[in-house]
Amino acid sequence: MFGIVVLNVLLAQASFHIDEVERRIETLSAAQVDLVREQATLSAPGRIAHWASRHGMRLPDDIRILHASGRTGVDPAGADPSSAGGGAEAASP
Amino acid sequence: MFVGMVVAFVAISARLAFLQVGRANELEERGLDHRVSTAVLPAARGQILARDGERLALSTPAQDVYADPTMVTDPWGAASALSPLLGIDAPDLAEAMTVDTTFVYLARQVEPEVSDQLLDLRLPGIGFLDSTKRTYPAGPLAAQVLGFVGTDGVGLSGLELEYQDLLAGTPGERTNETGVSGQAIVGGVSVEREPVAGSSIVTTIDRELQYQAQIALAEAVEQEGAQGGCVIVMDPKTGEILVMANDPWFDPNTFAESPSATYRNRAVTDAFEPGSTNKVITAAAAIQERSLSLNQRLSVSWTMQVGDYVIHDSEPHGVMQMTLADIVSESSNIGAVHVANRVGAPTMSRYLARFGLGRPTGVGFPGESSGIVPPLSAWTDASLATIAYGQGLAATPFQMVSVYATIANDGRRVQPSFVRGTIGPDGRFVEHGATHSRHVVSSATAEMVTRMLAYAVEHGTGVNAKISGYQVAGKTGTSRIPTGDGSGYLTRQYIASFIGFLPARDPEVVIAVILDRPDAGYGGVVAAPLFRSVARAAITRLGIAPTDPLPLPPHALPVG
Repeated sequence: MFGIVVLNVLLAQASFHIDEVERRIETLSAAQVDLVREQATLSAPGRIAHWASRHGMRLPDDIRILHASGRTGVDPAGADPSSAGGGAEAASP
Repeated sequence: MFVGMVVAFVAISARLAFLQVGRANELEERGLDHRVSTAVLPAARGQILARDGERLALSTPAQDVYADPTMVTDPWGAASALSPLLGIDAPDLAEAMTVDTTFVYLARQVEPEVSDQLLDLRLPGIGFLDSTKRTYPAGPLAAQVLGFVGTDGVGLSGLELEYQDLLAGTPGERTNETGVSGQAIVGGVSVEREPVAGSSIVTTIDRELQYQAQIALAEAVEQEGAQGGCVIVMDPKTGEILVMANDPWFDPNTFAESPSATYRNRAVTDAFEPGSTNKVITAAAAIQERSLSLNQRLSVSWTMQVGDYVIHDSEPHGVMQMTLADIVSESSNIGAVHVANRVGAPTMSRYLARFGLGRPTGVGFPGESSGIVPPLSAWTDASLATIAYGQGLAATPFQMVSVYATIANDGRRVQPSFVRGTIGPDGRFVEHGATHSRHVVSSATAEMVTRMLAYAVEHGTGVNAKISGYQVAGKTGTSRIPTGDGSGYLTRQYIASFIGFLPARDPEVVIAVILDRPDAGYGGVVAAPLFRSVARAAITRLGIAPTDPLPLPPHALPVG
């Protein structure tokens, strides 16, 4: 009889502990979702563009792409024959 | 006295026996009903992701706040306490808490930080229900494509609606036996059915390119005094839609604050008379059917009588000798009519259908328009002529970009798609079904049409779409807008468009830009520059390398 009572008490304690752990899991899960949302918001192109603009950056007016493929017969993008060697900027793909 | 006590004792015992034995089950059930409560466990709604996995739409935990007015002891006091936290006027809250009901929502989708503060107030009669809130971290990016959900978390438009069943998941249930203060009773009834989370959708949208296209479109709309517009970028080989931008736009996080007219994905739902961009079908049909020789020169005047109507080219000119390539390059309506007459109405009707006009693309988007293509039996004397240069029929921007994608993809039409695949609750990615394709015109026909479109950009009406170092193939369009009552066309109001692809040899992207009623009007003037902006962004973003240019097609007009 005494053993049953003790077992019951232990079960109750374990149950409370489980409840507490489950609450902690819920809290951490919610925190994880919040962090995911924050990451998605921070990486949004509009936010980054706005941040860049506030820090003095802007998109280039013209982009010239150089391809080091060694092809012949194809002019590099944006290059006139007279501009060879000057002013062309490489842009990352 | 003793007898009275005995009688009382017997009566009490009898009553006890009646309750404990006779009504034992009934009372036990009633007791259990008081202690047992069932709560719905909402299923986590699936996310909508960009093609690179970045989140475009996701759900976060929230709470709905409700009141039981019968339990609220001080409505005004409660309203004053709740108002600053909920951001709702106190009189409105107080009024809600005096309604003759036992349940009334005070606020929906409240952030957990706020609901925690509300909980700490311990206001009688105020309760909370688990809920979720849908968030679109990139704001108005691809808003009309994504759509939005209502307060109950059900998709109301866009992909949120189209894939509602997939995204929603299945709610669960928790049944608990609780004590007076709401704590679970150890060893009591405790049954839980776990919710099944919704699946996430991986779209084909390129987030960065979408943003750049939206910005370029917004600038063009403002600069050209247009009423709106759209931009579509598509991979012609796979049919994947990289960009679908509409202007004006709205922020799905606060969609209720924007006019409902902005919710529509006009690129898919609105049909317009495509104008000269439709000449690509006229040309393709003529080449495929060998209706005329590529070197054949047609005498093209400025005007032509067709039935009761006089049609004309956009600019007055004398009689010109033009090949098919010249007709496409100079966008001659009269020339297109000559070509269409050689193709014939039945064949022309067939090619419109083969290129997908007159029926939805099947991309999987709510409200997709099929456009309007009159059946052959309903064609009048003027129908073949007007359809040859893209009036007298209607197509959505999306249908038209699909036409050009067919040409760009060696004459093979690929089923377009918004979705790359889905991610199930188990985290496993399942790719979208195999892409369907079918031949519409031969590879040789497609290449010749491409050469003509490249010629149009290099030397014709599309010169404003040229990009240094790349051969661009494309066509301008300037189409009149029918009046709403069918009495004719609006005066001096046009849809300006440019649809093209690059590089001309082995294209990697097809781009369509449409501007609705710009001040200047002409597709070559206002739409072609927007195409060029978007194309440059695509070149950089996707790392598109130039290819060897295709040779000029047979032409009669001199080139500069």
